[in-house]
Amino acid sequence: MQSIIGKAWVAKGYVMSFDMILQRFWTAPVDPAENAKWVMAGVDEAFNREDGFKNMGYTFIVAGHNFAGGGKSIEHCITGLMGAGIQAVFATSFARLQFRNAINYGLPFITCKDMNLHCETGDELAYDPATGTIENRTRGTRFQSVPQAPFVAEVAAAGGLMNFIRQRISDGSVATLR
Amino acid sequence: MGMTITEKIMASNSGRESVVPGQLVWADIHTVMTMDYLGKQTFRAFESLGAKQLFDKNRVICVSDHLVPPPTPEFATMLNEWRDVVHRYEIPHFYDLGRQGIAHQLMVEQGHVLPGRISIGTDSHANTYGAVGAVGNAVGVSDAAVAMATGKLWFRVPESVRFHVTGTWQPPVMAKDLSLHIMGMMHWNGHLIYKTLEFGGPAIEALGMAGRMTLCNMTVDLGAKNGIISPDAITQAYLSGRTEDVWSPLASDADAPYDAVYEVDVTNLGPMLSRPDKLDDTAPVEALAGTPFNKAFVGTCTNGRTEDFAIMASILRGRQVRRGVNLLCIPASTDVYLECLREGYVEALVAAGAAFETSSCGPCAGIHTGVAGDGDVILSAGNRNMKGRMGSRHAQIYLTSPAVVAASCITGVITDPRSDDWT
Repeated sequence: MQSIIGKAWVAKGYVMSFDMILQRFWTAPVDPAENAKWVMAGVDEAFNREDGFKNMGYTFIVAGHNFAGGGKSIEHCITGLMGAGIQAVFATSFARLQFRNAINYGLPFITCKDMNLHCETGDELAYDPATGTIENRTRGTRFQSVPQAPFVAEVAAAGGLMNFIRQRISDGSVATLR
Repeated sequence: MGMTITEKIMASNSGRESVVPGQLVWADIHTVMTMDYLGKQTFRAFESLGAKQLFDKNRVICVSDHLVPPPTPEFATMLNEWRDVVHRYEIPHFYDLGRQGIAHQLMVEQGHVLPGRISIGTDSHANTYGAVGAVGNAVGVSDAAVAMATGKLWFRVPESVRFHVTGTWQPPVMAKDLSLHIMGMMHWNGHLIYKTLEFGGPAIEALGMAGRMTLCNMTVDLGAKNGIISPDAITQAYLSGRTEDVWSPLASDADAPYDAVYEVDVTNLGPMLSRPDKLDDTAPVEALAGTPFNKAFVGTCTNGRTEDFAIMASILRGRQVRRGVNLLCIPASTDVYLECLREGYVEALVAAGAAFETSSCGPCAGIHTGVAGDGDVILSAGNRNMKGRMGSRHAQIYLTSPAVVAASCITGVITDPRSDDWT
């Protein structure tokens, strides 16, 4: 598996799911293209315009505690980030609901303690999914993330939970899941 | 090594003798709740999985709570589409306008959650179900669809944190004050994320079901996976007549492993508030007394129960809501509404100048029925106060208990219900 290389946006405070997709952008159902246009609109005034976050061209988000907290179960946050080009989020901790949604959609939410304290927005990062190491090429520093559970990789490889289950319903193996 | 109550539930519902924190299991789901706002999407996702039928249509609970009564033609159309889906699947348990309520209240009140079982819902406050000793978990649309098709869902067995709560409640201090106290004590700094919060001890055993629901409800706002209270005689009395399903008592083992155990004594606990924008920015009522506000709201899955309106009526009966303050009350369900009518709470509160609305999530979700405008300062007994939660991002929301709301409505400023400032 090749490293992913790109620019990072570094959060300076709590990032709440409620601000990631403002209520007026709760499409029904999730609409990745539309969600991507408005994702992060409430997090920073600079992103509060169509394609505001997407046009910045970030590949990664780096955050502190409780990323995507505030308790929303809507999947729009994840489809929005994916549509805006985000390929991994590194945080000291993630809010549970969106952590789960990220796993179900195959977007890597990677636990990496305090990395936000040592990176700045615009830094170039290289993430190696095989080893879990993240290199900050702008600063010449390296971070080691917490390994993901094998199940997470299995779901991602299937193209998300829905495909993972579709496959098992169609081949009759769903009953064996325990 | 013993197991905590949540570990026991994860084990018994996944066909295992035991589980350990961090373990991944596919567990059986007792009930799946979905509601008007996300329900059509959930059924559509279910249909895309290729399953021939629902795992059990009696255990898919459908509720209209976010959009009723519909405030706009768009929402009315969305509701109609939702009703079409529910009717097409011939769902027996459909709570629609006229027999409605907030989903989490109905799930517990109508006996759709059971001690020792796992229930999920496509709304974050599904943690409420822990009040009867169930694992209640909020999930996204994909998870709910998978459970509707297979009757199962994946879970990571959470670490357990116990709050051992002792002392004697000093009315009008309520479970909400304990929730906000714990919020301020723990903050959103990762201590409670993913974990199960188990509440026990004499002060929890003394709590009625309404308080237990409030406490478990807000565990999602603490970042936890679920909140849970071991079923006891109060649970048994509450569930009797609400469900025919059989359940067995269960509790954590004495030697169960905890990530942390916190001791809280409620004897000296006073009324609490969260300042606007951040739930964990809490303060005792004394610190904020005298703060003016113009709107007040009591309702929601957190504090819209009979006991909440009872304490308000005890404060506001024979008194008046100050001019310039709008007090909005929304019962959490039709049954709660009826009980409040029978007990005279509605009459006492309406006579005092409160407005009542039919049961729904109301302005808590910022969708309709009294949403916030620019410049509003709202005293709410709900669960969230981030910018824009109740409507305008230029409004401020203080969170507190129904008792603080009631006393403060008399004076027009934040008021300690224990003081004689409002009498």
